[in-house]
Parts: sequence; C-alpha cells; structure tokens
Amino acid sequence: MINCEFDRRSFLKWTGASIVAAMTAPLSFESLARAATTTPLPAKTPILVLVTLYGGNDGLNTVVPFTDPVYKSVRSNIALSSNQVLPFSGSLGFNAAMPSMRELFARRKVAIVQGVSYPNPNLSHFTSMAIWQTASLTGATSGWIGRWLDQQPHSPFNAIGVGSTLPPAFVGDKTVASMVDVSGVQLPWGPVATVLPRLGDASPSDATLEAAAATSITDLFATAKRVGAHIPKSPSGSYIAQQLSVVSALINADVPTRVWEVNLSSFDTHTGEVGDQNALLGEVDAAIGAFMTSISAGRRANDVTVMVYSEFGRRVGSNASDGTDHGTSAPVFLIGNRVKGGLYGEQPSLKHLDENGNLRVTTDFRSVYGGLLHDVLATPVGDVIPSWHKALSVH
Amino acid sequence: MSLYISWVSPTPSYELRLATARLVHRFNFGPTPGQYENLLAHGLAAAQSAVLVHGRDDPGIDTVKSLVLGDLGPFPEGNRAKSNAFWRRIAKDSSDLVMWWLDRMVAARYPLTERMTWFWHGHWATSISGVTYPLAMKKQNSTLRNLALGNFEDMAREMVVDGALNVWLNNNENYVQAPNENLAREFMELMTLGVNHYTQNDVAAAALALTGYSTDQSNGRVTFNPKEHFSVPLGILGATGVFDAQSLAKLVVSKNDNVQFITDRLWFRFVSGSTAAPPTLAKSFASRDISSLVNALVHSSAWTDPANTLVKSPVEWFVGACRALKVRPSTLDAGDTQWLLSQMGQVPFNPPNVGGWTYGTAWLSGVNYQYRFQLAQNIVAKGNLAPLDVQPLDMLQACANWLGVPAWSRRTANALTLSLATPSELALAAILSPEYMVSP
Repeated sequence: MINCEFDRRSFLKWTGASIVAAMTAPLSFESLARAATTTPLPAKTPILVLVTLYGGNDGLNTVVPFTDPVYKSVRSNIALSSNQVLPFSGSLGFNAAMPSMRELFARRKVAIVQGVSYPNPNLSHFTSMAIWQTASLTGATSGWIGRWLDQQPHSPFNAIGVGSTLPPAFVGDKTVASMVDVSGVQLPWGPVATVLPRLGDASPSDATLEAAAATSITDLFATAKRVGAHIPKSPSGSYIAQQLSVVSALINADVPTRVWEVNLSSFDTHTGEVGDQNALLGEVDAAIGAFMTSISAGRRANDVTVMVYSEFGRRVGSNASDGTDHGTSAPVFLIGNRVKGGLYGEQPSLKHLDENGNLRVTTDFRSVYGGLLHDVLATPVGDVIPSWHKALSVH
Repeated sequence: MSLYISWVSPTPSYELRLATARLVHRFNFGPTPGQYENLLAHGLAAAQSAVLVHGRDDPGIDTVKSLVLGDLGPFPEGNRAKSNAFWRRIAKDSSDLVMWWLDRMVAARYPLTERMTWFWHGHWATSISGVTYPLAMKKQNSTLRNLALGNFEDMAREMVVDGALNVWLNNNENYVQAPNENLAREFMELMTLGVNHYTQNDVAAAALALTGYSTDQSNGRVTFNPKEHFSVPLGILGATGVFDAQSLAKLVVSKNDNVQFITDRLWFRFVSGSTAAPPTLAKSFASRDISSLVNALVHSSAWTDPANTLVKSPVEWFVGACRALKVRPSTLDAGDTQWLLSQMGQVPFNPPNVGGWTYGTAWLSGVNYQYRFQLAQNIVAKGNLAPLDVQPLDMLQACANWLGVPAWSRRTANALTLSLATPSELALAAILSPEYMVSP
C-alpha cells in the first residue's frame, strides 16, 4: 500500500483477517504434541497477555479527572462525582468499579500510559481496531503478534487466543495463533476420531486456505493433548474472568506460550453509559485481580505482563442519551509484578481539543508496543513494526 | 500448483468442476443430491443460469411452515411471574426465528434469494442482542429479502428507517439538541460509502438529518415526527438542503463511491478475500441494480482462477451440509444447534457487531473444529446417505460429486479410504475435510 490512509480495500482485506500462506514445514500432530510436552516454557521467560476491550472504552470515566471543572461541565449527565471515584492523586482516580486496579496501582504494579492513540485518529471502530491490531497505519494485512509469530520457530503454542475466532492481531503472513475455549477441549469421539487427525496432514495440493483448514484440525488435537487437561473444568465468574482463569491455569501449567489474548465486547456506550460501563469495568477489574492473585502465587509471578486496551476513547462531551460518541485517545494499562507502576505520558487537556471535540493524542500506541516487544518478547521493534523504533519501557 | 485429481474422472475438466462447485456453493448454499453432476453435464453457461434463478414460486420454500410472531409489547415491570413469562417468550420466538430462516436456506430449490438475504444481513449487520424483539428482526429480514436483488437505493431508503437498525444504532436517542452519531456514521462507513469517503462534518450533519424518527421497539414500527426533526439546511457530502432520512439515503447512494464500495463488498464475500475486483465490474452496478451486479459476478472469469478460494462461514458450511444430507435444521435439537453455531461464532440475527461477521482464516481455529465436529455428528445422524450407496471403488468420487467438491487431495482421499466400510463415517469425515470447510 502506498497511500497513508487505511483505505477501503485494506479495510476489506483486514476484516478478512488476512490470508495465511501454507505452513512451510509439514508437521504431524503427534510430533507437535510430543515436542510441546517435552519442552515446557523455560523458567523466567516473559509472557504477554493482551486484554482487548471492543467497542471503544471511555477513558475519561475509567481514569477520571474528577476535579477538572471542564470534565463536570461538558458531561454533566455522566460525570462521576468524587464518591464514584477511587482517587490516586489530587486530580485523577479510578472508576469506583475498579478496586483491584486501585490496589495494584498503589502497590506500583500498574503503569497507566495516558493519551494513547495513533496520528490523526479515525473515529471508525473498524479502522481503529485494524490499526491497533495490525500496528500499521497503511493497511498491513497481518497482525502485529502474527508478524512476531512468523519469526518464531513454528509451534501451535507460541500464541494462544481464548475463544473460537482468531483476533486479527494473531494472524501472521505465514502462520496463525492457536485458540482454546473456556469450555475446554473436547476431542472428536467415535470411530472417525482416528481418521480426522489424518485430514490435518499437510498436502502439497492444498491452496492457502485448505492448508489453514488442515492446520485447524492439527491444532485441535495438539492443544487437546498439551493443554486440555489444565483447563479449569467449570471456570466461574464473568466471561472475561473465565477467559483469564483459563490463561492463568495454563501459564501455571508451563504451557510453552509467550502471548495470550482475551477480550470483552460492548464498550460502545452511545447510551446509558454509566451503568453499562461500570458493570463492564467491574468485570474486567475483578478478572484482572483474580488473575494477578493466581499468577503471583505460581512459578511465573514475575514473568507476566498484561496490557489492557481499546480501539479508541470516547468524545469528551456527552450526548443527550447519557452516553458518548466515538472519540480518540485513552489510557492503556500495563500490569505485572515486574512492571514499574505509575503514570506515563501526558494526560490530554480537556480544554485544548482537536477540531472534532476530541482529546489530543499524547502517546503513539506503537511506542507502547515497542516497549512490550523489547522488554517482554525480546524482539527488535522494527522487525515487527517496520520503520518504527520508539519504545516506551515500563519494565 | 499440482492438483491431485485421479480420484475423479478426467472429464469434465477440473476447471469446470471447480467453477461449477464455486457457483453452487457460493450463490446457492451448495448442491442438493445429484445437482452437481447434473450441472456438470450441462456445462458452465447452464450452471451460471441455474444459480441465478430467483423470483419465482419456490416449492422448497413452500414446505417451510410460515412463522407468525406476535407483538409482545413493552418490557413488563414489577411482576416477576409476568416478567419471566415475557423473557421465556422472547427466547422461544428468537430461537424459532433462527430455525425458520435456516430451514428456508436448506429447503430452497432456488436459493439465490435466501443467499442474498444472508449477505445483506451481514452487510446491514443488526443484532438481536441490541434489538431484543424477534418481531422487529423478522420485519427487517423481510425487507432485506424483498429487496435482496432489487435496487440498492430502494434498499438504503428502506433500511435507514428500519426499526431494528434504528434501535441497534441508537437512532431512538438521536435528538436535535444533542445528536447521537451512531446510525449516521455506520450508514456511511459500513453500509453505503466505505470508510474515509465522508468527513466528520458529514457524519454530524447526517445525524441531524436522521432526527425526528422514533421506533416502537416491540414491533419495529418507525414514525416520523416533523417537530422533532432538524429542518434547517445542512451541508452533506457537498450538497446543501434540508434533509430527512429518505433524501439523505438518496444523496449518499448517488455518490460514485457507493458503486465501488458495494461492488467490492460483494466481490469480497462471494469471490475472493485476496484478489481485487476487476475494474470493469463496478459498471454493472452503475444503475444500483443488485441483480445486474450479481449477474455480472456469476458471469465473470473469476471462477477458474485458483487464487479465488474462500472459507465457508459456519452457517454456510452448516446449511450446505444440511442441503446435501437432506436434513431440515428444525428437526435437529434447536438449543444444541444454536449453541454449537454460537461456539463457532455465527448465529443468524446475532452478528458480533455492526461490522458483521469475520471472514477467512478467522473461522479456522482448532476450537472451531471441535464444535464443527459436534454439529457434523448431529447432521450425519439424521442424514440421508443414499448417494453413497455405490460400489466401494466408486465411493470417493460419488462422495465428491454429492457434496460438490471439485477434487480430493491425496491426503483426504487416503483418510477417507479408511471409512469406506461405513457410509456414515465417510460422510462425517468428508464434511469435516479441508476441501469441504473451504470453497476451494
């Protein structure tokens, strides 16, 4: 792509989660499963957990500038008052639905990167999420973790998403991540169960997508063998809590996985925002609190970094439906026992807005990725995000 | 690329088998027993005509019992027993609606109309998770079906005042004093023009043009109240005037960007996620006539290009298997079927967001395969396997012809050979093969 806008065609491609080339080395599922079982993740290997909030989480009601008179006046119908906030400084506080985050922040295990977005933010969910997940402003079809995956020795365990449809960030040019589900892995049964693994073998006549279909078969049998037994039988709590409890169980079982992804939808609060967002943030907060407790009690206590992000923040001024329309920058959370907690970047002014009444961007999200690539995935930033070299380190 | 075709007879040519399979899977949800061989015998032009048949009485659809949903009225308040009964009714009607549509897709003798309605449902992606009431969703479904192959301007004018869409995108809360931009933005970005073919000022002005419409959520009826409407001249996409929903839709659809956008969307879902539509294709949509564009697609030279493979979405895969095995979805357990489809990520009337469903390799995870197996198991258990009632040596070819698979790879042929003794196993493995999960 030579144009610098995320144009229609690249959007179309992106919604297709890209096209993945055939696996270079045809591996049988037995050999993959054997390799994985015999190679647990080496001790002290850093692990990244992405928490994606779909819909555009309102940053100003998450990390709340509760003493700013502008905050109160331009969103009087949804502004949180001081008793709906857990202050951590004279001017900022967490939404009161987030007591775990407040506590982790007080223990300096949470880095809040303020005002994060990309240059000239586009108010579209899909363009914004495409940019975040591809780490490209110009319409790359591969995801940023997917490009990292392309550079690793192939294994279905390098990156695992929770759910059944792959997040675009996890789709590379040559390879894709695996998935596990909160309901656990149940292998096919009956006489055909011995036939199906053979349908997953690579075939020289496979076109790209047939090869990907075959790989999905192999991945099911491989993940069942390697991770199936470690998935909690009936995880409890909200969906995000269930997803994160699967991730913590698998991390504590030494599954050789460097990157995980979980996600939650419904942050598109055009109407009735306060009740809906508080409920969602409460679920995220409780899930992260439980996750950090579980990780901190295990062998990987100091290895895990969690990133919580959304495709955009929301409009500074509220609308008449007690909600907010699409906006721009918002805070990103980085959480972990090895993270140097505190505030990073600059809180965007509520007075000096862009021409659409939106917050200005004070930190480019690619710098946050840069820090994670360098500190967690030990990969040169430019190898994954071409022509980008900045890294905001919180470790 | 070397294709292993020794398991099918050398005539007709592989190109004809490929093109015919693509046409019948992508425009007609896959062949019924015997149909693929029949199409192959008559050549590509006949297959192109056959998949385009629509607009006549459909004896298949006639066998699906019509679904009548009542207006359940406003949410009950207070009384717990009343409230429980209300939500049970919503759940029952919602489930019936899904099974009713799946039945139509499977039963249709001329499936193009249902297939196009399915495409437009993903295009105007409205979810019952936001609308709540199945009656409003069914009303939208009828609108999309009536105009599925009609004129796109008519469709845009009807859809911009569709009750379910208005509820889903918050137009009930769009007021002159404080506009809600949700419908205005997605209408231009996702439904008519494509991203970046409008400005934020256009979005803000279009939101004002859409004020004054209110929807009765329980039945999807939309009423226009001129007093609540912004009746001051606006500048939108270079035009100036007083706009309402109808004149806004007319203006937006009149833009050249609409032609390329809709052409690209159809190309992307029916032909290829990796190649671009030929530059001349959009000409067939200049009049905004959808059937003219579909006709041009079906007659394009894309069908023999090996690059134009697609992954079947879960519903397309499921409906295709049901058509081949002659299984009416409503004869399966409704709760189980919808749960498995939702685990695979796709239940009709419930797209994940206004952008519609994902595509391609995103459907191809190991987890997806786990549920695909369970769904396949249920279909085969009820399926009619008569097409496999042939000599063992002929079974693989009979199976490929039955399901509309152009050719088995050596890998798949070897695996299927293990199941020749048991037709139900062979059928199960075949619909779970890479060659059937994708449209090669």
